Amino acid sequence: MDLIGISMNFRTAPIELREALSLSSTEITEFVPLLKNDFLSSGYILSTCNRTEIFGFPKDKELAHHKIENFLINFKQVREIRDEHFSKFHSFEALNHVFRVASGLDSMMLGDSQIFGQVKNSFKLADDLEFSNPVLQRMFNSVIVAGKRAISETKIGEGATSISYAAVQLVEKIFSNLASKKVLVIGAGETSELVITHLKSKETKDITITNRTLAKAEELAQKYNLKVLDFSLLKEYLHEFDIILSATSSDLPLVLYSDMQNAMKKRKGNPVCITDIAIPRDFDSKVSKIENVFYNDIDSLNSIIESNLQKRKHEIPKVEKIIEHEMNELMKWYNSLGVVPTIKSLRNYFEDVRLDELKKIKNKIQESDYDKVEDMTRRLLGRLLGAPTAKLREISEKSSHSSEILTYSSVLKELYNLNGQSTKE
Amino acid sequence: MVTVIDILNILLPSLYALVFTVYTIDFVSDKRDLTSSKKLFLYSTVFIHLIYILLRTWNFNHAPITNKFELFTSIAFTISLAYFLLEILTKVRITGFFIIFVAFILQIFSSIFIENIYEVKEVLRNPLLGLHVISALLGHTSLIMSAIYGILFIILYNKIKQHNYGTIFNKLPNLELLEKMSFMSLLIGYIILSFSILIGAIWLPIAFPDFKHYDPKLISTIFIWIVYSSGIAAKIFFKWYGKKVIYLSLVGFIVLIFSMLVPIIFKTSFHNFQ
Repeated sequence: MDLIGISMNFRTAPIELREALSLSSTEITEFVPLLKNDFLSSGYILSTCNRTEIFGFPKDKELAHHKIENFLINFKQVREIRDEHFSKFHSFEALNHVFRVASGLDSMMLGDSQIFGQVKNSFKLADDLEFSNPVLQRMFNSVIVAGKRAISETKIGEGATSISYAAVQLVEKIFSNLASKKVLVIGAGETSELVITHLKSKETKDITITNRTLAKAEELAQKYNLKVLDFSLLKEYLHEFDIILSATSSDLPLVLYSDMQNAMKKRKGNPVCITDIAIPRDFDSKVSKIENVFYNDIDSLNSIIESNLQKRKHEIPKVEKIIEHEMNELMKWYNSLGVVPTIKSLRNYFEDVRLDELKKIKNKIQESDYDKVEDMTRRLLGRLLGAPTAKLREISEKSSHSSEILTYSSVLKELYNLNGQSTKE
Repeated sequence: MVTVIDILNILLPSLYALVFTVYTIDFVSDKRDLTSSKKLFLYSTVFIHLIYILLRTWNFNHAPITNKFELFTSIAFTISLAYFLLEILTKVRITGFFIIFVAFILQIFSSIFIENIYEVKEVLRNPLLGLHVISALLGHTSLIMSAIYGILFIILYNKIKQHNYGTIFNKLPNLELLEKMSFMSLLIGYIILSFSILIGAIWLPIAFPDFKHYDPKLISTIFIWIVYSSGIAAKIFFKWYGKKVIYLSLVGFIVLIFSMLVPIIFKTSFHNFQ
């Protein structure tokens, strides 16, 4: 398979360069016709915050990777990027890379499931822009099957690997029904917003937000349908909440040990889960000593993430096995593409010879004898061609290299002169 | 028939060992999903144990409740049955590692020491006694389950408090569910045991007219009832949560075990039927 590809990703380039080279859907729509015109007959472009990749079948078999790189750099007008900021792939390696990316094995956060959706979207965009061909479409299908199997058959995507999601995982280990719990989010920054999104996905309904700058809290409250608590009333209403998440940039602790003790008295000992993501911390860490107060700071959340990542690492061989299986299936199909026309030509050649010879004797023997000869020659041909046809198919299915199939096909074509010459003497 | 019973008597501890092993592997290992194997072994063991109990009852003409080793196998069976039903209802299949262990230990002791008794004392054939023992059996089972879930709650509580997010953290269900399972088992056990005590109180003067009010079995039973009543009242009326109620329930459980041993320790107790 003559697939080639270039990739600028988190391993090869810093975030500034990745951002500079990133392509929006609109830019991809503009870029693909130019790429199609000069370099690739078909392909796709994947661009996320962690990677920008171009893969496809070259128009010219001698096409060098750096030509595509330069073409992209010129299109984006980013002069700081050099050749070493790209990984280059060809043939089997290129195909393997596409599978690994879609299955989350090449992600910055191992097993990231978001990338699967992004890869699917990039395939769809390639289809919409008529940048794909039947081989690429079949490859897209196989990659999607592998990605889905990796998610459903392995635990590669299980467990939280982000601070915001780890906070929710911890809450779920304390409470069984988040929908009935009252949540307080202190701070209205990016982390708070991420946690709110995760909690909302767990059916949490009663979320209150408080922030020193009221306008910011109100903005998030409006966006996610939250209640707002005046920041000055925080300590007074602390006891009302089962889950508290704090992520402010305050230099001093917002909640002291005594505040939490008072709140727990009012709660009559009912449990509370506090997740303090702020640095410096918003809660006095001694609150963790109070009974039924489950206090976690950024370090404890990081240890959850680390433990989940270790578990994901154990799943890598399973995902690689899935990839290997799906790639083999794809290659069998691809190789059969090369061998089918050869088999057809070979059978046509022998059939022409048979018919030609039958024609010569048709008027020399009786009709009943002719029928017998006709039948006998058909069977003879079937037996003579059966074994080589089966062997050719077997080679095409077993071989992962198209060059081997090509060699067999070329020899047959050469021996029997299958390139359009007449079979008549 | 006795041969079949004897074979099952040997087979049952092996089956419990197998179920316990599968649940243990599934608990400690992330490599394979053993849900189907767990179901297969648990369901077959519960079924074979049921056959064993029925065969014993039919062949010896009394339910296996007339001495402690007969009671052990009956409790092992009711624990497995209760866990089997709980698994189906809650879909929580991980706590079997702890529950089946208790059934396994009880069955081992039962299988080693159980005797084939054809004749039992006349007093043990009283229908009121049958009701008393069966309800006590179910009550004890629920309280054993409550104690196990309580212990699991305390283990997980401490793990979360210590920020120790290993296998226990990952595998056990959440604290709220464990507390709920522990308290529900406690409540069911308390109601059934109260009924059993009531039946026992009615039957006692009929069977033993010269019983003493300060009999150790009576005192320990009243003490258990008070401890469990306090725990339930604290939970319902004072909204106690988690560890406090569970500690109280565990104290009740320890006294309960002590109470079971009373007839062995105090040979003079009316509850000593041997």
